[in-house]
Amino acid sequence: MTQGTAVIATGRAGVTRMPRWLTSEHPFPWLAPLAAMLAVFGLYPLIYAFVLSFQQRNRIKRVDEFVGLKNWIQLVNDDRVWNALSVTLTYAFVAIVIELALGLLIALLLDQDRKGYGLMRALMTLPLVVPPAVTGMMFLLLEDGSFGWLSQNLYMTGLLSPEHPILATGSTALMGVLLADIWQWTPFMVLIMMAGLRSLPKEPYEAAAIDGANAFQTFRRLTLPMLSRVMAVAVLIRGVDLFRIFDYIYVMTSGGPGTATESLSAYAGRIFMTGNFPYAATLSLMTMIVVIIIANLFVRLFKVRF
Amino acid sequence: MATVTVRDVVKKYGELKVIHGINLSIAEGSFVVLLGPSGCGKSTLLRMIAGLEPISEGDVLIGDRVVNDVHPKDRNIAMVFQNYALYAHMTVRENMSFALDLRKAPKDEIERKIAWAASILNLEPYLDRYPKQLSGGQRQRVAMGRAIVRNPEVFLFDEPLSNLDAKLRVQMRTEIKELHQRLKTTTIYVTHDQIEAMTMADKIVIMRNGYIEQAGSPLEVYDNPDNLFVAEFIGSPSMNLIEGRVEGGRFVSKGGTAIALPAGCKAGEGQAVVLGIRPEHTHPDPAGALEARVGVVEPTGPETHIYFELDGRDICAVTRERTGVKPGDPIRLRLDADRIHLFDQASGKAIR
Ligand SMILES: Nc1ncnc2c1ncn2[C@@H]1O[C@H](COP(=O)(O)OP(=O)(O)OP(=O)(O)O)[C@@H](O)[C@H]1O
Ligand SMILES: [Mg+2]
Repeated sequence: MTQGTAVIATGRAGVTRMPRWLTSEHPFPWLAPLAAMLAVFGLYPLIYAFVLSFQQRNRIKRVDEFVGLKNWIQLVNDDRVWNALSVTLTYAFVAIVIELALGLLIALLLDQDRKGYGLMRALMTLPLVVPPAVTGMMFLLLEDGSFGWLSQNLYMTGLLSPEHPILATGSTALMGVLLADIWQWTPFMVLIMMAGLRSLPKEPYEAAAIDGANAFQTFRRLTLPMLSRVMAVAVLIRGVDLFRIFDYIYVMTSGGPGTATESLSAYAGRIFMTGNFPYAATLSLMTMIVVIIIANLFVRLFKVRF
Repeated sequence: MATVTVRDVVKKYGELKVIHGINLSIAEGSFVVLLGPSGCGKSTLLRMIAGLEPISEGDVLIGDRVVNDVHPKDRNIAMVFQNYALYAHMTVRENMSFALDLRKAPKDEIERKIAWAASILNLEPYLDRYPKQLSGGQRQRVAMGRAIVRNPEVFLFDEPLSNLDAKLRVQMRTEIKELHQRLKTTTIYVTHDQIEAMTMADKIVIMRNGYIEQAGSPLEVYDNPDNLFVAEFIGSPSMNLIEGRVEGGRFVSKGGTAIALPAGCKAGEGQAVVLGIRPEHTHPDPAGALEARVGVVEPTGPETHIYFELDGRDICAVTRERTGVKPGDPIRLRLDADRIHLFDQASGKAIR
């Protein structure tokens, strides 16, 4: 009995002796684990890449040497970087526009409480659980020049000729890769748009009906503006993601033909494979800077609030 | 302008019946008030007329046209919603011009109408604000503005003044009435405020639990209530009601107080009845037949409400005189015999 009391007493004493910033009342202990993870997996690589971007491997001494802005200057003068930037921007822009439009359209169609729509909504999310590499393989097979189901159908309609297979032709290869992206990521947009539609108040719709708005006017003047916040957030999330596009390209075209589908990440990956880590790091940093700038412009322009 | 006819209309939510076969005809250009306690189905009926709720049974006609399956946008009505239903992403000005924009009205006409509505509703300083930057009363006025800039065949108002302060409410009441006299647009106005109903209506429709209890002009329903519910619901302070039975051509209350009945009274001998008399027809009078003791005295200025107890019921008398009575004083009362109402105790129906 006395022993028990003693243990409790020391326990209490132990608690009071702990510095305040280590107690549960202080945010520090709660934030520390995540902060540590971020530091190890986010901050450290970032700083490492930053340092690396000012160095170059000396092949004779086999050490990294400080070379100042050399990598950065090389980057700016590298045509392949500019090509990759333009491929990435094109890819991201086309993907976002199509996925957003399709996503909104499908969400509007599925946002009804009719029989069977619940199942359709569930089925709609299936592409999201397929690994991107598998999606890439799937579309690679679909678009294969000789036996791809999609290619053959396109040959039959005359839109494409067998001499110019989708993925092996510079002008169509990017579109071929985009198909995989659109198939996989439109459901993501559908989900967000559906959640947005569900959260809209219904009273303004009644008022608009009485004010004489038809379906199209209601969509354009109520739904679109009321949904714009949600759309902006979706575009931002998807846009940042699209800027790092690598997997479909790697699986389907490896950036080819030539450099027709080589995105920034794909080019960085290629450089990395050749062992030029400092230059790859520089390119990755540049990608990050471009993303930050564009995302910030977007947030300002569309007054996105989280 | 158009008539509105409601024919045997029933509203069911699943198994739950909230409107039980209502019949109502509203004359062209008239101002009809739907009055009733909370939850009696006023909004539901109004929303069915607007086309926002499907009609379970019966017909609604605007003019000669059955509009059961007509979309609200094609009914040419304007409505003020109980919860405002403003467009949150539009300014006050855009909220009010929305309907006109949709109809591609000329710009100067839109400008003029908005300026006019804003001045009536004291909204001029707020035209470029968003609804979330307004108070409840201001939002309600925007909702009003959105309706009055239109030129509809029927106005539907769902408690449009409930969130305004007393002064503004009286002012808006007059504005709406004036607007109606000028435009002569058929108006259906929902409220649970009987003063609003009495002052504004050409016709009051009193509802309870999905039924119409009585419909008629304000003075008709005030002077000749069809049943106990209407008698008690209309008038403030409300009608005095005393339970008892008819004995030898007189009314005898449970406590034994006898009150002479007017000549030609149709109540049967021995019938259990409720006697009703309005406070303004109950007078303190030294020569009166009834004797009571004063409970509470409430001076309101122009008149004084004197409460006293009769057979265990609180009875009120209204007088314009300065009687100087105090709580506890004995008092004699006189009832205006020709203003006595009798109701059957079992059914609550008026005996006339
Ligand atoms: N969607 C619904 N499902 C089931 N019952 C409903 C629904 N909407 C309304 N009701 C019921 O219908 C009845 C009438 O409602 P209504 O809104 O018409 O009342 P009201 O007379 O306008 O009351 P208030 O003065 O409080 O606005 C209420 O008893 C309410 O509970
Ligand atoms: Mg209501």
